[in-house]
Amino acid sequence: METVTLKVFRFDPEKDKIPYYRDYEVPVEGTLLNALLYIKENLDPTISFRAFCRSEVCGSCSVRVNGKTKLACKTPMKELVKTWKGKPLRIDPLNHMKVIRDLVVDIDKPIEKMKTLIPWLVPDPRVVPSDPRHESIIYPEEMELYKDQIHCMLCFSCYSACEAVEDNERYRGPFAFSKAYRFQVDRRDIETAKEKRIRYSISGGLWSCVQCQKCIHVCPKGVKPAEDIQNLRGQAVKKGFTDKPGAKKLKHYVDWIYATGQINRLYLPEEVYGNKEARKKLTEEYERMGIEVWEVPKPTKGLMKFRDIYLEILSREDKALELDFSHVRKIDKMVSDIFKADICTIVDRAHQNNRKSKGLIGKLKGLLGGSDD
Amino acid sequence: MIKVGFYQGCCFQGQDAHMFETMKEVFRMIDVELELLEETTCCGGNTIDEENRKLSYAINARNIALAEAKGLDMLISCNTCYMVIAKAKNALDNNKKLRDEINELLKEEGLEYRGTNKIYHLLDFFRDVVGYDRIRKAVKRPLKGWKVGAYYGCHVLYPKHTAIDDGDNPSSLQEVLKALGAEVIDDYEAKDTCCGYHAFFTDKTMTMKKLNRILGSVKKAGVDIVATPCPLCFKSFDIYQLQMENPPMVPSAFLPELMAYAFGLDKRKSGLGHHLIEVKKE
Ligand code: SF4
Ligand code: SF4
Ligand code: FES
Repeated sequence: METVTLKVFRFDPEKDKIPYYRDYEVPVEGTLLNALLYIKENLDPTISFRAFCRSEVCGSCSVRVNGKTKLACKTPMKELVKTWKGKPLRIDPLNHMKVIRDLVVDIDKPIEKMKTLIPWLVPDPRVVPSDPRHESIIYPEEMELYKDQIHCMLCFSCYSACEAVEDNERYRGPFAFSKAYRFQVDRRDIETAKEKRIRYSISGGLWSCVQCQKCIHVCPKGVKPAEDIQNLRGQAVKKGFTDKPGAKKLKHYVDWIYATGQINRLYLPEEVYGNKEARKKLTEEYERMGIEVWEVPKPTKGLMKFRDIYLEILSREDKALELDFSHVRKIDKMVSDIFKADICTIVDRAHQNNRKSKGLIGKLKGLLGGSDD
Repeated sequence: MIKVGFYQGCCFQGQDAHMFETMKEVFRMIDVELELLEETTCCGGNTIDEENRKLSYAINARNIALAEAKGLDMLISCNTCYMVIAKAKNALDNNKKLRDEINELLKEEGLEYRGTNKIYHLLDFFRDVVGYDRIRKAVKRPLKGWKVGAYYGCHVLYPKHTAIDDGDNPSSLQEVLKALGAEVIDDYEAKDTCCGYHAFFTDKTMTMKKLNRILGSVKKAGVDIVATPCPLCFKSFDIYQLQMENPPMVPSAFLPELMAYAFGLDKRKSGLGHHLIEVKKE
């Protein structure tokens, strides 16, 4: 029978000064949970881990395998052996939580953090009938908005894998934001609660998420916390919480992409942090190295039609920010000052098949990678 | 000669325009012709999704449609652009209503998203289309004695449904670096830590903490340089590193630059000579 070594984290705070690893030879069969049960039944009854349903429902069996968070009852041993090419598998308890014993961790902290985001329904009396005998109807299209989030089984895989939890003590955790968002889009929930959830999300680290996507990657239930965090950020900006750098960054993206089809890294530090020096310094640094720096990105050929599409979508959809047309006009003016023509003419002219174009437009074509000699 | 549509995103424009010429030359040496998809726009940088997700899908339906109109597959050289465009492609391929609605808008420009062509990131393009052998054969100046730290960046490994390699134990970057003759270091402690680029304008302290972890860890592992297939991770390493309290001054490289240098281009031409943190290794 094929076997593999599990190096299992062992720690009993009552007996052990420091944690250690013990090796167990287990069959490459069934799931990782089967392997842990095999150890407990056949090799070492003192080992502790949590598991209950054995069928991806209760969310209690998450551990780390060579540092990567896995739901033990969902992870086939064969897959692990294939991924790690038969090498020993180091089994650790989840990260970011205190170890109670061996693979069992204390989940109180993330639970408490989650509660600060009001992860329950605060009924709006105008929508939810006060008489409990009357139904409060939810339509399928409403369910659509939170059909993934409701599957969260509090397994804390995402909390363990999260980059923001790692470096921000206050960070509420991916699952907590998904739980909060689920009620933000529930019609039965009262507006004042929605407002509070946003406030608490912001103080709970909403803008600290690095968007690494690890939470989506490890979630055994198809929840997408990183995307819910984007949704919550959008809601925060829409509700007027626009003083944070993240909100200004979003404004930069919305306006510049509409205006030029691109963001502008030279102006980002100024528009987000009010740092005017950054543009100058970066420009000088590059010039010193002999690289010509363009203040505005090249206008793309289909720019005007691109703008139409952009506007059309924004006019139909729920959005965080309105386009700031005075900002757009300022950008247009910068473009026309540099290229000595209005933006429409530049877009047309820069892309005419005129191999003789000279000066700035010629250089612009050079930037496009086309030969313009 | 393989021809592929090149999506440049925001990374090869403005101050980085010189990199595209280098990329073109590097790819020519492995028999790939890059055709620049000129009319494409920024992918939205995973930020426009905060404004409205459908806007992100529409922008990228248009980007992909521009490649499809030329009958080309699309090569994307940025992890984040890759992930954002792959997510859009996923949504469009699996949701006919969304696709129809967006195609109605693209019509005005004579475009249509059909979902017929593939999208690639550098790493799966090298592995699946070019082949490591061809890279090995193009090497004129093997990176002998270079200890190169392999750093993937997040958006090519996660989430699963868009990943181009095994997120738990990937190998495609090490393979390229080995083909260049480098000594690959891929087991340093912070190899999976996010570079923090996307937090720089939302919560700067996060970026600094991430850089501290990664760069401290590679320094400890004794690398000469960190190599990444993502131009944003590269910017985080080369530009934001200087904003750390005590920058460890670890040199870094965007993967195609190292290829260019190994293929015989000089320091300057390869791009390695343009870094804020100087690459001293010869
Ligand atoms: S995307 Fe954000 S919430 Fe998800 S794991 Fe990364 S930092 Fe945490
Ligand atoms: S979101 Fe997914 S990974 Fe996170 S606790 Fe819920 S089920 Fe587990
Ligand atoms: S034992 Fe219940 S989810 Fe694994």
